[in-house]
Amino acid sequence: MVDERKSRTAKADFASGSEGHVMKDLIGRYYLQVILLVAVALLAVAVPNFRSLSNIQNTLLQASFAGLVACGMTLLIAGGVFDLSVAGIIAVCGVAVAEILPTTTTGVAIGAALLIGMALGALNGFIVTKIRIPAFIATLATLNIYLGVAFIWTQAKVVPIVSTNFLELGNSSILSIPLAFVVFVAVCVLSHLLLHRTYFGRSLRAIGSSEQAASMAGLPVVRVKILTFVVTGLFTGIAAVALSALLSSANGTMATGIELNAIAIAVVGGTALRGGQGTLLGTFTGALVFAVLNNALNLLRVDPYWQYVSVGLVLVIALAIGAARKTASVRGAE
Amino acid sequence: MIANQITASSADALLKSSRQTQAAREAKAARQGTLVERFGILLPCVVVAAFGVILVPNFLSASNIANILVNASLMAIIGFGMTLVIALRGFDLSVGSTMALTACVTAMMVGTAGLWLGMAAGIVVGAAVGLFNGLIIAYIKVPAFVATLGTMAIIRGVALLITGGGSILIGDPSFGAIALSRVFGIPSPVIIALVLLAVLYLVLERTPFGRHVCAVGGRPEAAIDSGIDVKQVTLKSFVIVGVCVGVAGVITASQLGFVDGTLGMGLELQIIAITVLGGTSLSGGSGNVVGTFIAAVLLATISSGLNLLNIPAFYQYLSVGFLLLFALSLDSLRVRSQRRALLWA
Repeated sequence: MVDERKSRTAKADFASGSEGHVMKDLIGRYYLQVILLVAVALLAVAVPNFRSLSNIQNTLLQASFAGLVACGMTLLIAGGVFDLSVAGIIAVCGVAVAEILPTTTTGVAIGAALLIGMALGALNGFIVTKIRIPAFIATLATLNIYLGVAFIWTQAKVVPIVSTNFLELGNSSILSIPLAFVVFVAVCVLSHLLLHRTYFGRSLRAIGSSEQAASMAGLPVVRVKILTFVVTGLFTGIAAVALSALLSSANGTMATGIELNAIAIAVVGGTALRGGQGTLLGTFTGALVFAVLNNALNLLRVDPYWQYVSVGLVLVIALAIGAARKTASVRGAE
Repeated sequence: MIANQITASSADALLKSSRQTQAAREAKAARQGTLVERFGILLPCVVVAAFGVILVPNFLSASNIANILVNASLMAIIGFGMTLVIALRGFDLSVGSTMALTACVTAMMVGTAGLWLGMAAGIVVGAAVGLFNGLIIAYIKVPAFVATLGTMAIIRGVALLITGGGSILIGDPSFGAIALSRVFGIPSPVIIALVLLAVLYLVLERTPFGRHVCAVGGRPEAAIDSGIDVKQVTLKSFVIVGVCVGVAGVITASQLGFVDGTLGMGLELQIIAITVLGGTSLSGGSGNVVGTFIAAVLLATISSGLNLLNIPAFYQYLSVGFLLLFALSLDSLRVRSQRRALLWA
């Protein structure tokens, strides 16, 4: 066992020291994107249905929901925290849209849902920073509370949405790209700029690297963390609106388990759980990887239960690759 | 010279007295800390039980109490394992899926290979899943949180695949009798939970392995430097969780009589909740299995009370959420009061 490991790392060292640096660096850096492109190309050739416009639209739409949440999650992980309550936020926001729509205009309903998302995010941030409960367990508690609120609001029933304006907006597309996906791309770009081009983002990454150091350096730790939770709440609210438009209904269980999907997307994309850095390009790619994978398995008529196995395997393999690369780079630095 | 001696001796006395007060402060801080840590969880427990007795008519009937204890035992058995890995500063998100898999394997094997072989198969499968998790975490060095997030999905898929998505009816009535049996009037699942509680308490508090688990969870770097085989300890701990989940899976299969692959969805968060409620800190380094058991009884009591009052099940979400927040506010209060006691008291 030990010998095997030694020989493997020796091989890795040898490979990184050999010729073709630039190409290898590029592939090493963008390996996920390369894998995605190769997979898409293969699928496009091998599976005729994959190329059809409706299937591409469908895949992009599927990538958007968890992807939107994953953008916020990437920011949070970069700041060294987590949000497990996103499924609860989606439930409350979705139910809010469905309940408010009959009484008001589409714009007001969407605005209210996004505001609720931000408020719930702010509550998370407040509990984490002011009451000082670790984010993991605090948001686990608020997940239960938000789900409870959604269920009590709906009396555990499904709330249908009949507003044609709202449904049209949800199912509209720009240049035949689904609106939700356009919003997702915009949110990705925005989050990238926020994380890498602003004072806020720099503070967030500093807090994620070492909260103690950041607070000693006089960074507004509490404010930055709460704001990040609010931003995540906003993105999650957008996902809730898009999802309820797609389902044309809302209920308490509409997004069960999405928190783990979002974390998986961010982590497969290359955002390390220890905090301090985040890659939105990776998150974007990660969302597409999972959507394409599930779509391909569907088209190939693989037993749907295999999807659980394959999603889990992708996550574990991506993590194992990441861990191996980290060990190799640590050894290289020494 | 004399003046020097006097100042030296008075300085000595001063030092001594300041050391004494410091020691007294630390002792007081530790006392306050352990008191709240060990018994803080009892506070909501007593409140809820009192409400139960006052509000719910049949709350104290023997059958209801037995029911609560059996439900609590099932959660607690998995919770003991979770306590161990959280003390190790790890996590296991795959417990819900693993319970489904072990219950399904048991149900299938009891029908074909007989009672004892079937139950053994369930526990072995649980241990194998734990071994798999442990290998990924200890040897490939994937963080436990995301590693078990991945295996959670994989194992759920496997459980659904081997059952073909349907449910399995267990024909053997003698298997169903096991969960219903009683020893000295106490339901056997409760006995199993108490035995496991005693074993894991002794393991954590009285064995080198338990000390190593707490050392690795408290300060991994120091544990490595003092020669503890961190990989071995991690691997063993995850196998132990697997075995605990296997036992719970077997009991669940016996209790329900029919099982399917969707069993135990979302269980992982519930189990983490009872572990944390029980006073085990997520930052690792210590585990409180007794607290885990009490917290399991507390949650089972609440859900039973809500059931008897005909309150819809979804109110339980709220109660779990608020209990968690309450217990954790208590915890952060404890840390702060300890710090204050060290500074000023």
